[in-house]
Amino acid sequence: MAAEPGLLSGRLALGWLIGGEWRFHPARFLTTAIAIAVGVALGFAVHLVNGSALASFDGAVRGVNGAAELSVTATSPLGIDERLYPQVLQGAGVADASPVVRLDARIGGNRLTLLGLDVIRAAAVTPSLVGIPPQGPASSSDGVFDESSLFLSRTALERSRLAIGDRVTVTANGRNVPLRVVGTLPAAEADAAIGVIDIAAAQWRFERIGRIDRIDLSLSNRRTAEEALAQLLPADAILSTAQARGAQGSALSRAYRVNLDMLALVALLTGGFLVYSAQSLSVARRQRAFALLRTLGMPRRAVVAAVVVEGVVIGIVGGATGLAAGYGLAWSALHWFGGDLGAGYFGGTAARIVFQPAAAAGFFALGLIAAVLGSAVPARAAARAAPAAALKNAGDVLDPRRAVAWWPAAVLLAAGGGAALLPATGGLPLFGFLGMALMLAGGVAGVPWFARSLLAPLARRRGGSVPAMLAIRHLHGAPGEAATALCGIVASTALMIAMATMVTSFRGAVDTWLGQVLGADLYLRANAGASFDPATRAHLAATPGVDRLAFSRQLPLTIAADRPPISLIARPERGGRDPLLVLVERTSSLPASALPVWVSEPAQRLYGWDPGETIILPIAGRTRFTVAGVWRDYGRQAGAVLVDEADYQRLTGDTGRDEVSATLQPGSDATAVGKAMTARLPGALRGQVDVTQPAVLRRLALTLFDRSFAVTYLLEAVAILVGLAGVAATMSAQTIAREREFGMLRHLGLTRGQLGAMLATEGAVVGLTGALAGIGLGLVLAQVLIHVINPQSFNWTMTTRVPLGTLFGVAAALTGASAATAVLAGRRATATGAVQSVREDW
Amino acid sequence: MLPDRGYGIAVKLHLRHAYRVTGHPILLDVQALGKSVPGPRRLFRSLDLQVRAGELVAIIGESGVGKSTLLNILAGLDDADDGQVAIDGTILGSLDEAARTRLRRERIGFVFQAFHILPYLTLRQNVALPLALISPDADAAETRATAMLTAVGLGDRGDGYARDLSGGELQRVAIARALVHRPSLILADEPTGNLDPDTASRVLALFANAVRDNGAAGVMVTHSDASAAIADRVLTLGADGLVERRGR
Amino acid sequence: MRNALSGWLALVAVAAPAAVPYPVVRPGITLAFPADHGAHPGFRTEWWYVTGWLRTAAGEDLGFQVTFFRTRPPVDAANPSRFTARQVVFAHAALSDPATGRLLHGERAARVGFGLARARTGDADIGIRDWRLRRTPDNRWTTQIFANDFALALDFRPTQPPMPQGLAGYSRKGPRPEQASYYYSIPHLRVAGRVRRGDRIVPVTGEAWLDREWSSDYLAPQAEGWDWTGLNFDDGSALMAFRIRRKGGGTLWAGGALRRPDGITTPLGPRDVAFRPLATWRSGATGAVYPVSQEVSIRVDGRIARWRLTPMFAAQELDARRGGLPVYWEGAVRTPGGRGYLELTGYNQALRM
Repeated sequence: MAAEPGLLSGRLALGWLIGGEWRFHPARFLTTAIAIAVGVALGFAVHLVNGSALASFDGAVRGVNGAAELSVTATSPLGIDERLYPQVLQGAGVADASPVVRLDARIGGNRLTLLGLDVIRAAAVTPSLVGIPPQGPASSSDGVFDESSLFLSRTALERSRLAIGDRVTVTANGRNVPLRVVGTLPAAEADAAIGVIDIAAAQWRFERIGRIDRIDLSLSNRRTAEEALAQLLPADAILSTAQARGAQGSALSRAYRVNLDMLALVALLTGGFLVYSAQSLSVARRQRAFALLRTLGMPRRAVVAAVVVEGVVIGIVGGATGLAAGYGLAWSALHWFGGDLGAGYFGGTAARIVFQPAAAAGFFALGLIAAVLGSAVPARAAARAAPAAALKNAGDVLDPRRAVAWWPAAVLLAAGGGAALLPATGGLPLFGFLGMALMLAGGVAGVPWFARSLLAPLARRRGGSVPAMLAIRHLHGAPGEAATALCGIVASTALMIAMATMVTSFRGAVDTWLGQVLGADLYLRANAGASFDPATRAHLAATPGVDRLAFSRQLPLTIAADRPPISLIARPERGGRDPLLVLVERTSSLPASALPVWVSEPAQRLYGWDPGETIILPIAGRTRFTVAGVWRDYGRQAGAVLVDEADYQRLTGDTGRDEVSATLQPGSDATAVGKAMTARLPGALRGQVDVTQPAVLRRLALTLFDRSFAVTYLLEAVAILVGLAGVAATMSAQTIAREREFGMLRHLGLTRGQLGAMLATEGAVVGLTGALAGIGLGLVLAQVLIHVINPQSFNWTMTTRVPLGTLFGVAAALTGASAATAVLAGRRATATGAVQSVREDW
Repeated sequence: MLPDRGYGIAVKLHLRHAYRVTGHPILLDVQALGKSVPGPRRLFRSLDLQVRAGELVAIIGESGVGKSTLLNILAGLDDADDGQVAIDGTILGSLDEAARTRLRRERIGFVFQAFHILPYLTLRQNVALPLALISPDADAAETRATAMLTAVGLGDRGDGYARDLSGGELQRVAIARALVHRPSLILADEPTGNLDPDTASRVLALFANAVRDNGAAGVMVTHSDASAAIADRVLTLGADGLVERRGR
Repeated sequence: MRNALSGWLALVAVAAPAAVPYPVVRPGITLAFPADHGAHPGFRTEWWYVTGWLRTAAGEDLGFQVTFFRTRPPVDAANPSRFTARQVVFAHAALSDPATGRLLHGERAARVGFGLARARTGDADIGIRDWRLRRTPDNRWTTQIFANDFALALDFRPTQPPMPQGLAGYSRKGPRPEQASYYYSIPHLRVAGRVRRGDRIVPVTGEAWLDREWSSDYLAPQAEGWDWTGLNFDDGSALMAFRIRRKGGGTLWAGGALRRPDGITTPLGPRDVAFRPLATWRSGATGAVYPVSQEVSIRVDGRIARWRLTPMFAAQELDARRGGLPVYWEGAVRTPGGRGYLELTGYNQALRM
């Protein structure tokens, strides 16, 4: 500041400079602001949608749990012995305890969580779960201890289209129980579908005598209580806090949400590149003006300030517009698609939009930063130019012989590769994303070098058509200019290709896997806790046309309080009887005495259960198992373990099975056999068993898969569009800036057609270069996604499959779009009036 | 590069040369040309101009009298309201856009105030550009371009780029480019406007020599008397057309 | 005459009388002790209710109440679940401290089962976890209460025999004969024990009143609530008087009894008891307006006797809705020549029992 005149004293000139630029090029400012706005809007919308969905999901979890600060929770639906309850209640530090029987229930086709509560205990511990009957004369026959009284949350009531006083049949644990709706749960979370009945009635009517699933606690001294309870708890119960339950809920979808957030940020990043392109051009165009002002005594930093201030304004306008648009977008997304954006993570909970001031501020700041950085880089370049030279020279300081530096790109790519190799932090692949960002930056930085290298052989070629020669020589000589136009599109293409490759690989892997695991001819599944007892199983096995039935039991099993429960699957497995298990790893030999367990790939990664290891599972207390193998599973993100059916039954005494896979005799009609099997079910079970064929399951799984990635495609498409807009804006500006050159060429006798061909060639070559760079970079990034991000966030691995069709499509679209853009822009630049612009008469 | 001393002599020689070309064919024949611009103003009317092979004509005039418009009409880039322009016997008015472009490509050379040397082409390629537009024979084009560069004293710089050259040198490249395809007509618009006087006079001499040596008809628009002095004839453009300046 | 049968209790009490055959209260019984000190599990509701005045060594006066309710919800006895709510016990305790002008209170409730709550038959022994009220074989009553901001450990030694109310223990509450309860009181209990307020424990002495009542059909549907008082007079006499207010105003039923120091008891019928409000207090918390100072008139032997009841302080309202109990006013009162408790229910919202 001391060396140069102050910025403040020059603010009038600065104001003129910026104001004049805006008056003459309002569209340019608007376009850049829109680019930022799109990025901010997407990021904010995705974040809002996720946040809102998570909040309502959280609410639903809290709703079912009644927001108890600490709970003793059964590790599996088999529950815990109710005699734990008085011990817990009298434990040190425990002020009160509310025992809970928890059942997954249905009223008609509507699912709800049915809680059996001691209303007196719950009133003290989880008051939100306590129902009140409606006031009025009709209530004289109500009773909270009445075995038939059912209280429903507002959501459950509305979904089942019930009114107070209605009689309903509630299905849970395989029992159909008639109950009467006597009241609502006004304090329950709005989004939770809950029903509450008396705990004694729940145990009796739904056959859970002696078992409870949870004890909610209110505490007088938390530390004392946690210590005391730790001593007290049996193996099949764990202590879980409200936070842990929230974490459990969010853990499932967290990686997905982070991935979406990252994608949304890509749009913002592309917007930043767009600002960079636009400002670079604007600065280049004003180089003489800046030089003049510098000569007139404007300080160097004032030039930077002028451009940066423009960036700030672009950022503010774009950011604010983006926030508003993002909010609207989020609202419509929630309204039309639901909180999970179709991914199925928050199934069943309706989300309401929750405005997040911190996130809004964050995305606004990101938009601002993108705009300011996009402006600061060209501003510094402009300020560095020697004023006298810039003033005298027409601005063509281009030197085609100057080597294009390759090392910044190489360094960034190498750093990115290094970062991607680092392990996950906090269950999130943050370094993976950092690596991707670095590689992306490296890729974009390498575009000039790439363009130069790509075009070098062509440029060396002599002869050929003049327009093509001019086009190629221009790009070869000025790869920086092309790179300016391309940075946004290279970034967005790279990410799109990366995502597309990952999704293709993933989908292919899932499809193959589905083909392997769905090897039976028919599947039967009991819902709402119903199960096939041994008699039913024997009866089913005798169905004509059935060759063999494999029964299995699937239960959630909580290993850690803050992680979602894994699936415990009991199936006939010992001695390799199950050909449908796709093992990715296996132990060479297993001690004869060991209990074998086969763990899924996510379970292996989440809990570090490697083949041959001895692990303890909370099945019938603490039982030691030996990991016999690791199997591929794309179905259960939280992990799953498979034990032999016989071992399971011996350990737990549970004789129920809830899934059947049937192998039919050759020539049997699957539909007919399915009907026959249904007919053989006992009456109470008949309505609760779904019979499906593998083709249906496979289609369903793939539909779900596609739905969950639909929003990803949408985000990618938007990023590409933003990038294309950037290419269009930059190319047209660059083309228009070359007006005089075109004028001269017209003088020399180039026809307009030849000029058009030249521009089309240039555009196509630029687009192709961008596409090739983007695709190449994208394929590299895809490897990060496949081998780092996916395993670290979702805990499953896959092999790469390249979506060739998409690659060709993107390359063709980009090439065509840039060629068209260049030609369109060229129309203006080669208009007859413009031909005369060779004269220096300005 | 030519020695400094020789130029004064060269200028005088050229003055005398003017009388020697009178017997050469008329390459540019402008008759009764009139042009108005939107509004009440008329740029010129009944403008007549004949330029013979090897003759360089300078047109001077105040700003805004239509010097550049006249050049554009001569180049077939703009249309006159009335009158006609014939280049080496071809009447411009009878040609369509494509034919005019072809004519321009083959028969006219241009020298601009701002040089317009493409930065991404070598100097040889820049010079060879008009030839490349006419024929795909790259070797012939480059040989001829090298010869032209040698003629303007830059024979060893063919592989260089615009960046390496000074303003005067760039304009010499431009002159080489204007003549490389042996045009009938060379049009120059303020060819020394961006050059300092010393360089300007050297470049002008080179230009005038080149026009004469190649037997082309040269028309140079300028507002500088000093520049105009190199021409065989100096015409002043006014509302009544071109008036030959006397008293030299 | 005991209030707090609303909230859960009321819900239980009003539910499906047809399903479970509750015993009906009829005249013509004889109270038998100690069996009638103990629980009567067949009846729908029952309570043990101790109120009284305490004095610390420093001479401070305190009021207290300790109440245990037992209720039998209309559940299916066939339910094998250990959680089956065959009996539910509620407890409520309060401490009135004129130094702070504020009522401290706490409550507990539990269904029997898992040894967490009990209401024994044969003799008084009722409790929820560590809260307890029982009679020892040496005819002492004793209670322990541990609330958040206070605790009570009190012994009550009877100085007089139980005082059957109504017709030898059959006490009418409404126009129909089955709207009644079995009811006896033990006035003039001599109190000794300790009171903890915050962290400070002080020894106390004092005088208390025990009410014991059980019933299956307590309150007529047209009743709104009641005013009740039990007074220990310095001369050893004791007065219990209540009136049940009719919805919309007026008295639906009234009654009471006066026992003179010589033990002669005069039962009081609906025409013999009158309550006249003298001053009201409006609760800032609930907006209910309570006649906290009343004149109680009774007709004994053709003469009218009047006592003016003055509260220890006005703000003795209990809002126990969080614990499933109603909003009511239960306060220590003075009267010339005596002290006791006044209970005002149904002023916030009509009670249902």
